[in-house]
Amino acid sequence: MPNFYKIFIRNNKTFDIIVFFIGFAFFISLSLLLAGIFFQTSLKLFLSEILDIHLWNAIFLSFKISSIVVLINLIIGIPLSYILSFKKNKISFLLDLISTLPLTTSPLVIGFAVLITMGPLNPIGKFFISHGIKFVFTPQGIILVQLIISFPFFVNILKESFDSINRKMINLSKTLGASSFEILYKIILPLSLNGLLAGMAMSWSRSMGEYAATQMISGVIPNLTETAPIEVFVKTSYGNYPAAIAISAVLMIISFISLGIFKFFYYKTKKSK
Amino acid sequence: MMNFLEIKNINKSFKNKKVLKDITLTVKKGEISSIFGYSGEGKSTLLSIICGLIKQDSGDIILKGNNINKMEPYERSISLVMDEPLLFPNMNIMKNIAFGLKLHKNIAKLSSVEYSKRPIKKTVLDIMDILGISGLEKRYPDEISMGQSQRISLARAIVTNPQIILMDEPFSNLDIISKTKVRSLIKNIQKELKITMLLVTHDIEDVMNLSDTMFILNNGVIQDSGNPKDILKKPSTMDTAYLLGTENIFEGKIASIDKVNNNIIIYFKNNSLNNEYYIESYYQQGFEENEYIYFVIRPEDIIILREDRTPSKAVKENHFRGKITSAVFTSRMMELLIDTSENKPQNIQFKVLLPFHAFEIMNLSVGKSVSISLKKSAIHIIKKKHIRI
Repeated sequence: MPNFYKIFIRNNKTFDIIVFFIGFAFFISLSLLLAGIFFQTSLKLFLSEILDIHLWNAIFLSFKISSIVVLINLIIGIPLSYILSFKKNKISFLLDLISTLPLTTSPLVIGFAVLITMGPLNPIGKFFISHGIKFVFTPQGIILVQLIISFPFFVNILKESFDSINRKMINLSKTLGASSFEILYKIILPLSLNGLLAGMAMSWSRSMGEYAATQMISGVIPNLTETAPIEVFVKTSYGNYPAAIAISAVLMIISFISLGIFKFFYYKTKKSK
Repeated sequence: MMNFLEIKNINKSFKNKKVLKDITLTVKKGEISSIFGYSGEGKSTLLSIICGLIKQDSGDIILKGNNINKMEPYERSISLVMDEPLLFPNMNIMKNIAFGLKLHKNIAKLSSVEYSKRPIKKTVLDIMDILGISGLEKRYPDEISMGQSQRISLARAIVTNPQIILMDEPFSNLDIISKTKVRSLIKNIQKELKITMLLVTHDIEDVMNLSDTMFILNNGVIQDSGNPKDILKKPSTMDTAYLLGTENIFEGKIASIDKVNNNIIIYFKNNSLNNEYYIESYYQQGFEENEYIYFVIRPEDIIILREDRTPSKAVKENHFRGKITSAVFTSRMMELLIDTSENKPQNIQFKVLLPFHAFEIMNLSVGKSVSISLKKSAIHIIKKKHIRI
């Protein structure tokens, strides 16, 4: 027994080896699992599928929708994070709860809820439809659900960034004559630029890869509401594996890059403290 | 205009704790006033209330005759300098100082003042020159020392030309050299620009060095106010004396009062027995014969007599003989304890401060017997607390 203590608890080297071994084992198996799809098809088939215009239409659609979602996130996310971080009270707690809810709710449920609410039988849906705005089976519907799903990511990261700003400094700038708006755009936003960019990258990737809620509202109309992740599912259900693999590969590379961007800025936020 | 800033009956509680009780004080234009008190006495809360960051429960703040209770902090023209420099990390020093000048409110205010029609850059460079921080314009806050940062923080506040600058323990995080430097800078710049300042501090040195008027804040009330030198030499109550770290506080009983000859005789009273020792003091108003009182004498006002010389007239008063029981070299002075009759109940212990060279010349050492003289004019009598007839 004393030997056990000596080797595992009191020896830092053994500890390091064990920790690194578990970490790397997980890393390698995850990489193999994800890379596995690339070994399922021949290079020739893969190339012919990846040059298919239909595939790029779907990816481009996803791209466009995600970018619009990020822009809307910016417009509603900055004021919301500002309230959550700087105006703490009972209402902001409720607001925090509601805005984080989509993180833990099943995306399928969110998609279903939007489908029902925006449908022609619901008074809200009726109101929008009578004004010529349709959310069901349209790109705007996809934007709406992806916004609901992705903005908690944006708001949480930005709020965390806002929270790290020194409150005494903010108070001091008030006494120098700065109004709330001047404080926001001269101090708060420049200081949380990294958090802002990290939040944008994160919400963009989340929206790019969103499937369940999107599928509920999209109606899977080729070239109009068929986003890249949906395309993967459609191709798989037809048994067209090479095509599904091609899209998956592109999607994986895109999220690898955008996640890289997120991590870059996120670590920069941490470092600047 | 004498009363520049008036604070009237300010009350403030946090949860159930009353932090400020009926605070009333006035700050005069062009002066440095200071609020002295221990930590946690609500000094910072009071400053936050004055500049509008915290709302008071009741009471008024009047600046130049206008009630500013309802104004937002940014509308008040009251700048705050805190214990940390709190520079904006995303801006260089130039932009940090110029921050206030570029704000909408100050552009409107300053364009009417003649001296501020100069370009921003020149204004900033001038103030940096006055505060001795020239050459740092391009640097960023994380690259410079604490003392410099605090001066930049001060420059940032001064440059917006506020009605009054509030300073919340501005020296507490500085080392002793920067502290002295920044202190004398503030004194000079205040004289030059005639800025009104309100300083909050727990260090009596700051108060003595800088301020024209002092307020003592204790247990949420203003306990004493006036000229710092007077208060330090002649505290009006025992609470004030304790707060200011007054040494040589003795209990006594007034034996006789002679108003005509300007004389009061006081018997020492320690360990609740009447002592045969007595001292004489000049006449002070408001005391009666046989009244029990406290009296104080500052350690630097006690004179050790040189044996080789006959004492001059001034030091003929209140002679005592005693033995040096302790001699400690503090950073500036020798601190001696002198006991009149060691280890006996009627012993009286005096604390004496004297320069080190005097200690050497007089050949003093622990165990030596010396004669001391308490200057009659330096003895100050204080009423006993809670005794009301």
